[in-house]
Amino acid sequence: MKKRAWLPRATAGGVVLALGLSLAACGGSSSGSGSGRIHVLVYGDATNKVEKQIVATFNKTSKVKAVLDTIPGADYQQKLQGIISTKQAPDIFYNWGAGSIQPFVKAGLLMPLDSFIAKDPGLKSNFLPSVFNTAVVDGKPYGIPMRGTQPVLLFNNKKVLQDAGISEPTTWDDLLADVKKLKAEGKTPIALGGGDQWPTQMWFEYVYDRIAGPGLFEKALTGDKSAWDSPDSRKALSMLKQLVDAGAFGNNYDSVKFTDGGSPALLATGKAAFELMGSWEYSTEQDANADFTKSDLGYGSFPSMAGGKGNAADVVGNTNNYYSVLKKTKYPDAVMQFLKLQYSDEFVKAHLAIGNLPTTTNTPKFLDTASNPAYLKYQFNLVKQAPSFQLSWDQAYPPSQTTAIHTAVQEFFDGKINADGFIKAMQGLSAS
Amino acid sequence: MRRYPNFLAGLGSLVWLFLVGLPLYVMLTATLRSRTDYSTNGPLSFPKHFTLHNYTQDFSNGFGRYFLNTLVVSAAVVAIVLLLVPPLSYAIVRGRGRVTTGVFRLFLLGLAVPAQAVIVPMFYVINRAGLYDNLAGVILPTAAFCLPVSALVLTGVMREITPDLYEAMAMDGAPPWRVFFQLVVPLSKGGLSTIVVFSALQAWNGFLFPLVLTQSDSSKVITLGLYDFQTEHGVDIPGLLAAVVLSMLPILIVYLFARRALVQGLMGVGGK
Amino acid sequence: MTTTSPAPAAAQDGQARRPARRAARRSGTAVTRPGFAWAVPATLFFALFAILPLVLVAVLSFTDWDGLDAPAFAGLDNWRALLHDHTMIQSLWLSVLITVLGVAVQTPLSILLGVWAAGKQRNRAVLSAVFFVPLLLSATAVSVLWRAMLDPNFGVPAQARWLFGNGNLLGMQSGAIGVLVFVGAWQYTPFHTLIYQGATRAIPEVLYQAAALDGAGTVRQFFHITLPQLRNTMVTSMILMVVGGLTTFDTVLILTQGGPGTDTTISAYYMYQQAFKNFDYGGGSAIALVLVLVATVISLVVVRVSGYDKMRSSSEGL
Repeated sequence: MKKRAWLPRATAGGVVLALGLSLAACGGSSSGSGSGRIHVLVYGDATNKVEKQIVATFNKTSKVKAVLDTIPGADYQQKLQGIISTKQAPDIFYNWGAGSIQPFVKAGLLMPLDSFIAKDPGLKSNFLPSVFNTAVVDGKPYGIPMRGTQPVLLFNNKKVLQDAGISEPTTWDDLLADVKKLKAEGKTPIALGGGDQWPTQMWFEYVYDRIAGPGLFEKALTGDKSAWDSPDSRKALSMLKQLVDAGAFGNNYDSVKFTDGGSPALLATGKAAFELMGSWEYSTEQDANADFTKSDLGYGSFPSMAGGKGNAADVVGNTNNYYSVLKKTKYPDAVMQFLKLQYSDEFVKAHLAIGNLPTTTNTPKFLDTASNPAYLKYQFNLVKQAPSFQLSWDQAYPPSQTTAIHTAVQEFFDGKINADGFIKAMQGLSAS
Repeated sequence: MRRYPNFLAGLGSLVWLFLVGLPLYVMLTATLRSRTDYSTNGPLSFPKHFTLHNYTQDFSNGFGRYFLNTLVVSAAVVAIVLLLVPPLSYAIVRGRGRVTTGVFRLFLLGLAVPAQAVIVPMFYVINRAGLYDNLAGVILPTAAFCLPVSALVLTGVMREITPDLYEAMAMDGAPPWRVFFQLVVPLSKGGLSTIVVFSALQAWNGFLFPLVLTQSDSSKVITLGLYDFQTEHGVDIPGLLAAVVLSMLPILIVYLFARRALVQGLMGVGGK
Repeated sequence: MTTTSPAPAAAQDGQARRPARRAARRSGTAVTRPGFAWAVPATLFFALFAILPLVLVAVLSFTDWDGLDAPAFAGLDNWRALLHDHTMIQSLWLSVLITVLGVAVQTPLSILLGVWAAGKQRNRAVLSAVFFVPLLLSATAVSVLWRAMLDPNFGVPAQARWLFGNGNLLGMQSGAIGVLVFVGAWQYTPFHTLIYQGATRAIPEVLYQAAALDGAGTVRQFFHITLPQLRNTMVTSMILMVVGGLTTFDTVLILTQGGPGTDTTISAYYMYQQAFKNFDYGGGSAIALVLVLVATVISLVVVRVSGYDKMRSSSEGL
């Protein structure tokens, strides 16, 4: 009996403690959007450092204070859509432009920014046009670029290439030859985080662009389903199939992910020679394998494809991220002042310092101040000179279509569906 | 001496020991070594140098906060269950009439409702109630889903109280609340400890409600912290596994010191 | 009914109850009983956070809702789409497959372990304590642990190529399903072992003594006494496995995300994906309702078989 007596006492104590704690917790976090505040919601990652700095700068002079909220992890779009039509919605939020904001525009939640631009033309003219246009929906601007551009590049491990006696491939045939050589040496020629699915999609984006030019996808995006069934589309698929069948990605790529650091580790440890990845690969490797990044991380553009209609200077990737504004914000003037900071010198310098490449017209002035100027200059010129910058497919389409696209690209690589199956899956997408 | 088949079961138990022991070995050694040691020498090798770096790093990555949040959620869920279930079970066991029977049926049916099935409307309700991304929004549904099993367990325990004890109290003219506090509650201690442990475990290990109903770091619970850690830095296996160890630490302590209550709580429905 | 007090004290509110109580006090024989009011807080709470959402899920399944505009009535659209959705049909089949495999793996294992652990020997008690450690981990932690263990390049497969080959476990359907079943078994077998351990200890000793007198060996005793005596326990345990298997979610989300392709997209995960990733809350609700229906049928079976509902009538004749 004695031994048992602890329980009721402990329980009673627990109850009191719990009620106290939960009340305290509820009280603490239920502070709604109080007066004189604008909430800025961004994707939670290493770049938040810059966003914090900009918010601090803003708050120094503004009467209306900005509050930075972050959503970490891969569920950003999902969480955003959960709150954007409720009273917990932010005033300003991070997004990928295009498809990612299209449903919100359709639901009448977003403020077109032309009145801001009328007051301050710099909100448009200070950004690279190809980047600014990604956030134009139905002819109206809805977003201001707020981070760096992220073209997709073909990264390599210089040491592995050297050991195998090969150089960076400039044509598709070079690449196929390299794959063969690397395979013979027991390497995985190309690291691929197939478990994440979107890295697989990057291969489609580039091969489609090189074979058919940017027009095919543009056409498909307007709802023209015949684009997917065109000879160019079939040719692109057969090229991809050829690469997969050649063993370019090894045979366990769907168990590997980029997001958990798996595929970058393959490249860094020399188990693989190439990886096709967004420009953020550089900072990922810098964080995880600093020595490798300094000495052996190489990068280049996607190889050209003989007979293709696309320009070999085209790039694909994320043009930038954007701040969009909710129509119901109480402080549009403060919001506008905040947006103007996104082309300030301070903004550019802060991003360059952490390896991001802003897309403002004043960026080149500061490129030499960056920690890795060569890499950034390479990218800036690449993006500036690119005849076309194709936005990632899963961001060009509305978020509701993402799963379908990802499933299709993965199943095609796995051989679970053939070209007909892939074409059918892509024709099933709804563009609006 | 009772006799049980020894050979086959003994062999099975050895296999099981290996299957349980190996991951535990990998987990514990991984958390105590550096990341490079782990990735160059492989998970099965024995660490050359021991370090607590993985644990301290987890704490600086916010796991302390998640820990506290989970503690708040668990304590509040237990409190709600303890406030609601004993009177309910008392009414079911001692009350007369169709309504209480109906109530019992309702809770029995509730056993069948998986949390996944109501997560969409729950999201809607919590959102409308302004409790999105608030610990209270996690606590309330979690507690609600602890009720059916708790009611079942406690009702079973209260039925064991013999009628003559009630009659004895009735002789003294005791009103229901006195019967409840002086007779029913003291004699149901075993059941109460079971539902405390059961609901605490449900809350501590809960994943779906926090996943859908919260978003920010300040209201993150530990299971969600694990999930995010894995999606962001899954290749930092030592750090990740240290977080796994941290997440089970409180339960391990209870297991070591109050094994019976824990096992009964775990059994919940199954044990009945 | 043992009392003379007006038994229809099924009176639902305290007011009507008071005279009954006074009568009881006077006569000294009547037993005071708690009114319905005692059950009200719990019932209201449960109704608000479990029953109301359940009703809402049914309503939402007839609407078109993306979380942005208000839900719009859509008639039978979602249901019609569901009937023709091959991913949905496949997901039901996958749910059943994973559940059945889970039962087939866990039942023999947990019976063997449970019977073994029921023995009183000291070494068994110590080993049992180790066996039950997986129970202390949340499903999330278990999934995260195994995802790390099974990483093809940096986990155990990299060191045991003879067993795992190229380690592409999660990249092909059979491997991914195998991993899900294995991880499920790893996590839940200890729980079922506990159930069988308890049930085995409850088997009357005399049965074994009698069998021993007849010269039955351990193996025969196991098949002729232990197993038949565990029949009811097996039913309970299997039903719990079925309900658990059908609602598997955490493991799928963390280990496979329904992939490769849709190869492990089981119903519970498909519901989550439709609602929270593809923003089709109406369609997700329809899937959820299918889940509820399946789970309810199973739980009715539980109630029938285990006699939970009879428990009340048998012990309530006071």
